[in-house]
Formats: sequence, structure tokens, C-alpha cells
Amino acid sequence: MILYPAMLQNYLVVGAILFVLGMIGFLARRNLIIMFLSAEMMLQGVAVNLVAFAYYHGNMQGQAFTLFILTVAACEAGIALALILILFRSKRSLDVSLWQELREPGQEPTRDEEPLVPPPPALPLPRLTPAGIEPRPKEREESHV
Amino acid sequence: MKEDNGFFHPSFLIPHPWCLRGQGFMMLGALSPWADHVWRVALPAALGLVAVYLLLPRPRPMLRVAGIALAFLAVVAAGFVLLHTSGRPVYDTLFYFFAFVAVVSGGMLVTHRDPVHAALSFALVVLSTCGLFLIMAAPFLMAATIIVYAGAIIVTFLFVIMLAQQQGLSDADSRSREPFLTTVACFVLLPTLLYIILQTYDTGQPLQQVVARATRAQDEKFNTVPAVVEASGGAGLLEDYRKALLALRWTPNAEEYQNQVNGPVNNLKAQWAAGEKAGNVKTLKNILADVQANGTKVLEGYAKLTPPPGSQVSQLSVPSKELHLLYPGETVAPLGRSLFTDYLIAVELAGTLLLVATIGTIAIAGRRTEGLR
Repeated sequence: MILYPAMLQNYLVVGAILFVLGMIGFLARRNLIIMFLSAEMMLQGVAVNLVAFAYYHGNMQGQAFTLFILTVAACEAGIALALILILFRSKRSLDVSLWQELREPGQEPTRDEEPLVPPPPALPLPRLTPAGIEPRPKEREESHV
Repeated sequence: MKEDNGFFHPSFLIPHPWCLRGQGFMMLGALSPWADHVWRVALPAALGLVAVYLLLPRPRPMLRVAGIALAFLAVVAAGFVLLHTSGRPVYDTLFYFFAFVAVVSGGMLVTHRDPVHAALSFALVVLSTCGLFLIMAAPFLMAATIIVYAGAIIVTFLFVIMLAQQQGLSDADSRSREPFLTTVACFVLLPTLLYIILQTYDTGQPLQQVVARATRAQDEKFNTVPAVVEASGGAGLLEDYRKALLALRWTPNAEEYQNQVNGPVNNLKAQWAAGEKAGNVKTLKNILADVQANGTKVLEGYAKLTPPPGSQVSQLSVPSKELHLLYPGETVAPLGRSLFTDYLIAVELAGTLLLVATIGTIAIAGRRTEGLR
């Protein structure tokens, strides 16, 4: 059986796409949790690359490297979530743009010009019209009331 | 070579740029041997990034349907143009499935405005990446990734439910930061990455096609000289063979390699012309058998991607057999040996890092935050 190098290229392409999607998410999204997930996805893309190289080189070094990536990702997850927690505690929001005061001096803050479109009001819950007649309580029950 | 992988390739349906190049179809392909990669790379990347630009959350969504359609087109185009099949249907099906799920749910993670959906699609990304790991004989990594990320995803879910669900509509979820500039930056990065990948690793494909053609033309039913010439492509086959060998670019010493290739191929060409003139079918078939045997040998050596001679690679990280010949379960022991010999210090450091990160997390999360406001 021949191991085609063309198949190695397939894994590298998938890894590159995952990496770039994660980069888009990290740069463009404003929710701290989604930024964190995007960073994790970039690490997944790199892990795919390393495992593919390990497979096609026929040695274990790529897999060992991926294991260290996993370790660092676990540490990063813990610390990132702790940071998200204290950032949320102090601003009551996950929006990263609320921390613009950390920018360089002399930079203009970015302002959101376009107003948010409020969601359409929720439809009222359906209410059944009462039908029929209310049964009269029995005498024994009335005596209890 | 037993498998004829031209059949399983999607180019069976749509002409692959490699097939068209020889016919002068691609104008740019004539300028540089690598210029046709530009189109293979730019088309899916452009489609995909325009789709992501349209789908990123905004206060007023832009052309959502067009964005979804473009994203679908981009994924299909990438599958057709960038990926190859190995000729093993089960393997290829699994690969295509996992790759598709990974890329699509990655796109959903980036573009969906609801963080709950983002966390769910991240779970899908991790699961399908683990599927890819399993295909590539890394079962331990698959299990470790699932265990680590299952914990991470559950905690993220808790955070999403705890923090993000309190207010309905928020700036954080329905606005993007600089979507246009981000997409432009990624449009610089993604095609560059893909181009380099194709330029470096896509070089085996033309040689595989030459070998397949040579194998096909040796069939018993071609028993006259014109039939053999028509089936194989005649002298054109040898020219393609020469180009394919040169395109492999194994050696940094380019001139010497060119001479090594050109001498024997010119010899074969002379023999072919003589055989064709004399009407000797046997000579032609011998030449084809030579092309097939030598090409297969080159492909086998090429596919192993062995490190160059003289480089120092630790033998403790190399399993006793080739990885793809082992059962997946058998690769766990070599990984353990590699970790506890070559990477022993790194493993200890990783453990220390985890401990320090745990302490740091507790220190950060337990702190009162009044001073931060």
C-alpha cells in the first residue's frame, strides 16, 4: 500500500481552514466566551497538522507535541475562564469593547453608531376560553368551605 | 500501483486543473508551473471569506441567504479543488465526513450570534477533529482530547448559561468588531497558507497520473503500435513523466537532480521513437513497464517523507513498523515510550505548568474585584 502525500495535503488544508476560521472569530467577535472558543479552535487546527505530520513521517514526535498543546490548552482554558469571570463581575457584561479604556493614549474609542434592532415582541400565550358550565360543588364539600 | 485513483477523485466529474494544464487551457498555467495553484486556492478562499463576512453578526443582518449559499459553495469548491482521494473508499468517506463537519461547525462557531450554539458547534469541531485523529492512528490523543475538551465544554456551557443568558439582546453578541478588516486580513493569510501547502505537498499527483496511464496502456488488448501509442499518449507520456519527476523537487541540488532525471528519460524517449518506427510493440510495453516500476518506486519513497540522510532523529520516537501498518491500538505504546524517554523533562514541565495554572486560576477567580472598577 502506498501512502500518498496528497492525503497529507488534505489534513494540512483542513488544519489551515480551522486555524483561519478561529482567527476570524478571535478578531471579529466581541463576546469573551466566543473569543475563547475561537482561540481553542486555532489550537485544534495546529493539532491536526502535527498529527498528520506524525502519521506521514512515521514517528511519534508530532503526537507528543500535540499532547503538550493539549496541556497548554487546558491551562489556558482554566485561566481564560477565570479572567472572563472577573471581567464579567466588574462590568456585568461579556462585551470586550467595554474594556476600551485599556487602549493606547491618543487613540479614539470606537463607538457603536448603528442601534440594535429590538427583537419582535413575543406573542402573548394563547388563552383558552372557558367552555361549558362550572359544576356545582357537592353539599358535603360546601360544608367544608 | 494497484489502485487507479483517478476514478474516485471528484475530477472524474469535473476537469481537474492538472488535467487541463497540458492542453493549454489555463492561460496562467503556461506562465509558471505553479500559477494554476493560484486559482485553486483563490476561488474557495474568496467564496468562503465573503460568506463569513456576510454572516458575521451585525445589528441588521446582511443577505443571510446569500451568505449561507456562498459558504456551501465554498466548502464544495474546496472539496473538489483542494483535496485528493487515496483510492480507499472507506478511508476517504470518513475523512471527507469529518473534515466537512469540522469546517462547517467551525464556521457556525464564528458566525452564530447565540453563545449556546457557539459552544455546541465547538463540541462538534472537537469531536470531528478527534475522528481525524483516529484515522491518523492517534487513538490516545483522540481519547485525551475528548476527555479534556468535554470538561472544558461543560464548564463553558455553565459560563454561558450563568453569564450570557441573563440579558436577551446584547452588544457582545449582535455586533462584530471590524468585520471587513478582519476578513481582508484572513484573506491574506488563508490563500498564502493554502498556496504554500499545495506547492509543497501537491507534487506527487502528476506522477501518479503518469504511472496510472502507463499501467493502463500495458493491457493485453492493446496489441498494435498505434493502439499502444493512443492508449499511453506516446512521447507525450514520457515528457509528462519527466516533468512530474522534476516537479517533485526532492533535492536542494537542483541541477544535479535535473541531469539525473533528464538522462534516463531522454534515453527512454529515443528507445520509444525507435520502437515506434520499427513497429515493435514489445519495446513500447517494456518502456511502459519501466516507467510504471520506476514511478511506483519513486512514489513509495516520496510518500514516506523520510528525514534527509544525516539528520539526527531519536530512534526512541520511531515505532517498530510504519504507523499506517499498525493497528490503531498499537500506537499507544510507542507514544508512551516517546513521552517517557525523549520528552521526559517536557512531561515533567507540563505537569508543573498544570499545577501552576491551577493555583493561578484559583488566585484570579477568588479575588474581590472592587479595585478593578
